[in-house]
Amino acid sequence: MSVWSHEADEPSKVAVREKVAREMERDHPGLRVKITWYDAAGLVVALKTSLAAGQGPDVFYIETDWSDLITDGYVLPLDGLVDWDNIYHWARKPWIRDGKTWAVPQEVYTDELYYNKDLLAKLGFVLPPNAQFSQEQFLDLVKKARAAGITPIAQGVGDRNFPGAYILTQALLHKLGLSDYAKLFGGQLSFEDPRVSAVFRWVKELVDAGAYPKDFMTLKLAESHFYFYQKPGAVMLPMGSWYTGRAFVPVDEGGQPEDFPLGLMQFPAMDGGACNECKIRAIGSSFAINAASPHPQLAAEFLNRMSRPEIGKLWIDTVHLQTAVKAQGSPATPHYAGYYQELMARQQGAQYFEMDPSDFLEAECLDTFVQVMNSSFPAGLLSVEEALRLMNQGCYRG
Amino acid sequence: MASMPQVRHGERTSLTPQRSAWIPIITFVAPALIIYAGFTLFPVLKTIYDSMHVMKPHNAVEFVGLGNYRALLTHDVVFWKAVTNTAIFSLVGTVCDVAAGLLLALCLFAKVPMARFWKVVWFSPVLISYVVVGIIWVWIYDQDWGIVNTVLRWIGLGSVAHPWLGDPHTALWAVLATQIWKWAGFNMIVFLAALYALPADVLGAAELDHCGWLAKLVFVILPMLRPTAVSLLVLSFVGKMMIFDVVWIMTRGGPLWSTETVSTYVYKRAFDWNTFDLGYPSAIAVLWFIMILVFVAVLTRLLWQHDKLEF
Repeated sequence: MSVWSHEADEPSKVAVREKVAREMERDHPGLRVKITWYDAAGLVVALKTSLAAGQGPDVFYIETDWSDLITDGYVLPLDGLVDWDNIYHWARKPWIRDGKTWAVPQEVYTDELYYNKDLLAKLGFVLPPNAQFSQEQFLDLVKKARAAGITPIAQGVGDRNFPGAYILTQALLHKLGLSDYAKLFGGQLSFEDPRVSAVFRWVKELVDAGAYPKDFMTLKLAESHFYFYQKPGAVMLPMGSWYTGRAFVPVDEGGQPEDFPLGLMQFPAMDGGACNECKIRAIGSSFAINAASPHPQLAAEFLNRMSRPEIGKLWIDTVHLQTAVKAQGSPATPHYAGYYQELMARQQGAQYFEMDPSDFLEAECLDTFVQVMNSSFPAGLLSVEEALRLMNQGCYRG
Repeated sequence: MASMPQVRHGERTSLTPQRSAWIPIITFVAPALIIYAGFTLFPVLKTIYDSMHVMKPHNAVEFVGLGNYRALLTHDVVFWKAVTNTAIFSLVGTVCDVAAGLLLALCLFAKVPMARFWKVVWFSPVLISYVVVGIIWVWIYDQDWGIVNTVLRWIGLGSVAHPWLGDPHTALWAVLATQIWKWAGFNMIVFLAALYALPADVLGAAELDHCGWLAKLVFVILPMLRPTAVSLLVLSFVGKMMIFDVVWIMTRGGPLWSTETVSTYVYKRAFDWNTFDLGYPSAIAVLWFIMILVFVAVLTRLLWQHDKLEF
């Protein structure tokens, strides 16, 4: 049986999946489970070419924005094949399309705003009890940090099509609420809506105040982590909660220092926001079965084995990340207990939008989102009016 | 009796010498032809076929005739941006890296001090993969600690320090400089080989006629290097018309499509747009293939020398 997986560069995830493969081989004498490791871009190209030729692996890694694989009929529906009792229903939901479930989620994450507690205190700011600054306070924080010679937000878009848009998309979600936010990116609400332009104007103020590093356009994702917790240091880093995959590893492997004062705050509340308690929760790594696989039962067994509670627990303990699997017991890593408590506290009472825009946008709208909201607008290359016009041109179908 | 075997023999080998010669020819050529048909001709024909279709979900293919081409030529702003960028890249890049290669070759031909060392140094970028070259130059252009801005600050030109790849006005030129750095060494080696192959008696005659070094270069050496230069110009031009890797690694076509080339746009449309439609990107590929053919034909015709030099 063959499995193609992304995340070759995350040893803890590799270890979990290889463990499941070896256990399956042990229980099925004569069976060989070969996992081929790719990076995401290479995997997409390999899948699109091999699946179109009626070939490809039995099981493959899939992300929610690769929905064309489903619509084109290359994925087997999993409703009757997988034991869904071990998977949280809300995590299964994003994979339900046309009444069928197409993939088994393994990793889930929320978009979070990480910060350096010491730097925040040094700048004279105290986080409110609900851990959420107002628009005005947040802008003030950015200005004071820049005045003190500290980069406010360590973010770069050198190798990804989404991180530059974290602040902007979260602000839009807070301002518009779940329904109108979905309409905005679904092409049913104009970017020239006054609430949208108000958010863009506020973000423009942040940009003009020097919120982002000067090498924002070329700073890569892994470099932005290092920038935040090592050198030169920054006050904040908006990131998916998979931040831990890079940060909670030994320092000599690029991780954060043992004593790093990591904190989590909510993304700022918008004035007159429809849903300031809204957050984005998304499905990360998931696995699907090739519709042309000659071994669908074996493939389903592999997915079921990855979804056992003990594997979920292993995931949390070694990958330090949320999982869609109903794992039992608290994390076995006391060093990070405080982090997990804070993460859970930030999710109390939250309402969730279940995808990042880069996960569900497609075609021209996706390209415009990447060029405008992810990079050029936060880089200060566009005025508010130009950004809104381009976004409308690419996304609005009204 | 004696003639019977001859007749039978004649019947068995009734193939004429001309026809029988085809058997080994076909036997030897067929494998190459099959490989060519499978890996070149078929993909080209399939791309042309795809370019007249739209691929829809569930493997549905809809014939749209020239619809993709029409949309491409009339509505696609990004395509025209990509065409403009690729044209700038191809024209400026070709002239610059062939000229740079010629200058370097002349330096070596003139036996500059440490010529062997410089030959290795100037040629070595050719041996480095595009991925490594791209990463190195992203670091070189880094706003905070890249060597370009560091040197500018060091010599008191800090105000000129700049996010070279992050500004739509400079990004294309920054990538172009990287490309020239990588390929000048290749052109240098080809020119150097051509320089050493020049007839010594012609050069000697020029010296006997008290021809100065500049006159010798302009009136003797350069005309004799013309065929080499034409070949390098055409090769370099075609390579740049298809430029992908260095752009993809350094900027992915950004910021604001300022470094988008036709090849990066084809890739994005085919694999990055979350759609399975290979029809439209195929139309771009076919159109660009035709444009490259036309450009190469024109360029060759313009640069080719009909009147041969006589020594």
